Amino acid sequence: MNILVFTKRVAATQEEELRIRDEGAAVDLSKVPFKINDWDNYSVEEAVRIVEKEGGTVTAISIGDAESDEVLRRAIAMGAKDGFLIESDAVMHDPGARSRLILNFIKKENVPFDVIFTGVQSEDDQFGCVGGILGAILGLPYSSMVIGIDAIEKDHMIIRRELEGGLQERVKLAVPCVLSIQSGINEPRYVSIMGIRKASKVERKVFKAADYPAENAPGIEIVRWTYPAKKGGATMLAGELDVMCGQLLGILKEKGVYQ
Amino acid sequence: MIVRVFGQAGSEIMPEQTATRVLTCIQCGKCTGGCPESGKTPFNVRMLVRKTQFKSNIDEALPWYCTSCGACSLRCPRDVKPSEVIIELRSKLVEDGDIPVTIQKALENTFVQKNPWGRSRNKRADWVEKAGFEIPHVSKTESKRLLFVCCIQAYDPRCMVIPVNVAKLLRAGGMEFGILGEEEACCGNEIRRIGESGLFEELQEENLGTFKEYGVKEIVTLSPHCMNALKKEYGNTGIKVSHYTEVLARMIADGSLAFPGSFEKKVVYHDPCFLGKQNGIFDEPRSILKAVPGLELLEFSRSRETSLCCEGGGGRMFFEVESVYQRNAEVRVIDAGMLGAEIIAAACPFCVMTLEDPATEKGLAVKELSEILVEVI
Amino acid sequence: MSYALIVAEVRRGVFEERNLDSVGLAALLGKETVLFVPEGPYQIPEKIADTIVRAKTAEETFLNPLNLTKMLEQIFAGRGKPDYLIFTQSSSGMECAPYSAGFFGLPVITDVSAYDKDKGIFYKSYYSDKVFGEFKPAGGAAVVLTVRSGSFKECAAERSVAAKIEELSGIAETEGRVFIEYVEEEKSDIDITKADFLLSVGRGIGNKDEIPAYEDLANKLKAVLSGSRPVIDKMWLPKPRQVGTSGKTVKPKVYLAMGISGAFQHIAGMKDSDCIIAVNKDTEAPIFQYAHFGIIADIHKVRDKLKEIVNG
Repeated sequence: MNILVFTKRVAATQEEELRIRDEGAAVDLSKVPFKINDWDNYSVEEAVRIVEKEGGTVTAISIGDAESDEVLRRAIAMGAKDGFLIESDAVMHDPGARSRLILNFIKKENVPFDVIFTGVQSEDDQFGCVGGILGAILGLPYSSMVIGIDAIEKDHMIIRRELEGGLQERVKLAVPCVLSIQSGINEPRYVSIMGIRKASKVERKVFKAADYPAENAPGIEIVRWTYPAKKGGATMLAGELDVMCGQLLGILKEKGVYQ
Repeated sequence: MIVRVFGQAGSEIMPEQTATRVLTCIQCGKCTGGCPESGKTPFNVRMLVRKTQFKSNIDEALPWYCTSCGACSLRCPRDVKPSEVIIELRSKLVEDGDIPVTIQKALENTFVQKNPWGRSRNKRADWVEKAGFEIPHVSKTESKRLLFVCCIQAYDPRCMVIPVNVAKLLRAGGMEFGILGEEEACCGNEIRRIGESGLFEELQEENLGTFKEYGVKEIVTLSPHCMNALKKEYGNTGIKVSHYTEVLARMIADGSLAFPGSFEKKVVYHDPCFLGKQNGIFDEPRSILKAVPGLELLEFSRSRETSLCCEGGGGRMFFEVESVYQRNAEVRVIDAGMLGAEIIAAACPFCVMTLEDPATEKGLAVKELSEILVEVI
Repeated sequence: MSYALIVAEVRRGVFEERNLDSVGLAALLGKETVLFVPEGPYQIPEKIADTIVRAKTAEETFLNPLNLTKMLEQIFAGRGKPDYLIFTQSSSGMECAPYSAGFFGLPVITDVSAYDKDKGIFYKSYYSDKVFGEFKPAGGAAVVLTVRSGSFKECAAERSVAAKIEELSGIAETEGRVFIEYVEEEKSDIDITKADFLLSVGRGIGNKDEIPAYEDLANKLKAVLSGSRPVIDKMWLPKPRQVGTSGKTVKPKVYLAMGISGAFQHIAGMKDSDCIIAVNKDTEAPIFQYAHFGIIADIHKVRDKLKEIVNG
């Protein structure tokens, strides 16, 4: 089974206070470190586990600037055979544009595959759309929120997808297909620095995004960036004990954890 | 239980040197005798060396019990360095990517944010606000003397007082120093002991580059763990590295630092493994405490080279072993209580963190050395 | 014809409440609203939309992006493409929305949590709500949206008359993707990482004898009991219940911390919870820096009062 896995290098913003620059024109990421998108880490791990068991190859593909080579080296260290970088210095906010770039790349370069994995979403834009759009424009079956792969046959796969409230749905998908992998599907292995250094010796191919122009499809445009309404510290509940406890239960009800 | 055969001589996993040393082990058991984990947990350091000699199966969970206190290597008559053997076993697990998830997180965090907790690197100098005075960047100092803060002191609310205190003490003694702020990276001492030598090398390279860029001539560390790495594992840097207790002891001896206040308490001093056992610094912290007017210094029966490890080292800050047993920290607190101590003083943030839980419960206080000293300057 | 088409989410015969957020956004957009639903024994408020289109197919077939796009094609053939195709931001919406966008060549904006009617701008979270992007479809084109739960519910006004009911039949089911069955996730009672509501206790509870009383409170509140490291170290609670870097990292909807001061190692294991409520008698406890709500009080008194109220 040949699996293409999309992996993205994203800003690690969880611990950062983000600043918006130039009157809303940009988010300042100049001092923020970068890392592999968490969901993609699970996708790469899942793909590698499948080929370790079933044979085949994993090809990791990243769209981004030259620095994105980092996540390709990491994928190779985890067990991917090849790493392709579709180099694009401009950040593409529109997931439709990204999906069409991928479609054109796969077609023009004749990249063979049985299954395509993406993460359910990326930590930065949280769009969660590239896999779904890609599935549709490739004309292939698609499933997102994949939390388990139960069986892999020549012409189909049985997968489980996560629904809400602890419910899952078992689904049969014809192969080839596109799957968006949910975090928690596995426990991704640790990738050591030594492993990454060894992986660096495997050549990664670089392609230019500009060589795969997308047809003009309607897209979305970002108008500007804004901050969310300020929350600011803990709201202290005050008053007599029964008042505070009543308020506490009110919060539990509001959050839907207590009726 | 997952077992594994670890490499031996000739394999790329265990360096020739270690493999040869392992073969010279005579199984005398002095390592196990001094080990803070052997006996009460499934961990037996002698047995692990034996199994490594014979390429026998080893339970993968076992190497993670080691606290890297170094007692085994100190006691070994054949210089087998069992604590280094443990690091080799761990590096095999690290390379295979098969390690406890909390350790994995600590390593991944260190890779991204240069500290094991994954806190923002941009907030590494946030503690400075609490100092109440300006602390220059080391490049702006004449002495090029660096106060190396490192992760737990930079981020943990309990330990953030340590850099503040030490900065005040150095200032009181008229010593010039600077910091690196967010340009500082984790020293890597625990990272190396977790077995991630590649990451350790990256941290070392980055820090050495920064030291060179700013012409750092001298380093004062807050944690004995950082001192150990910078002094003994960064190679020949030409930079003088001291623990802050060494610096303060000198300042007291030459009269530049004096304690006008008094501290009328019975204090027992706990030797941190990386300060004492592994680096021979026993007298400086004691001489400092003795210089505090009113302070009555007590001694544990197990002190200096035989000090009982608090179990906070060797990656154990990030990982909880499966078996449940009486923690050494609790033993230590009970001992302190029997000595009649009111306060346990330690000169290591990990010791403070591990000792404080049981101490609070038993009505004893734990203070990092500098916390006592700032009360009397 | 200008209209907004809402694809409703129905799971196990339940018309999900989050559909009301889709209805609310459609109302805000000021378009005629068509609600598209599968067959089922569930109830829908009859004045919820202008038109309700019932697909003659079961929910499992309905919420399958391959089938759904074919059904939408049928609807569009009759009514024309909608101006807005609206889904919930949920497992189904996150699957069907982008697939539909790709299928019909429409742009898509997900996780919409606000709409500026004057500017025609949709607000979408970036970086876990640290900043928001203001988006609009380029050239004012039709757009596919998914709606964040809880964002537009209050905009869902009732119509004056009951919705017109239409039926959609002749639905072709795909072979490419077939529903097999629903699976209940195995719920181990001690998997604290899966709990929606954790009651977490710390050293502040004092001693082991207090544990049963907190267990009782957790049961009454339908919460799972967890603890900080000192509590586990003392064996007051078993190891799998430990929250923190040396235990488990949890992200429940509500994390109610009682008697936990908030050591760094603990905070790292729970700070991403949706809502953190801290009860502690120490006003300086670091946990209040991370909590959304705080109560400064004796935790035992709070515990007993909560039980009293819950017991009625």
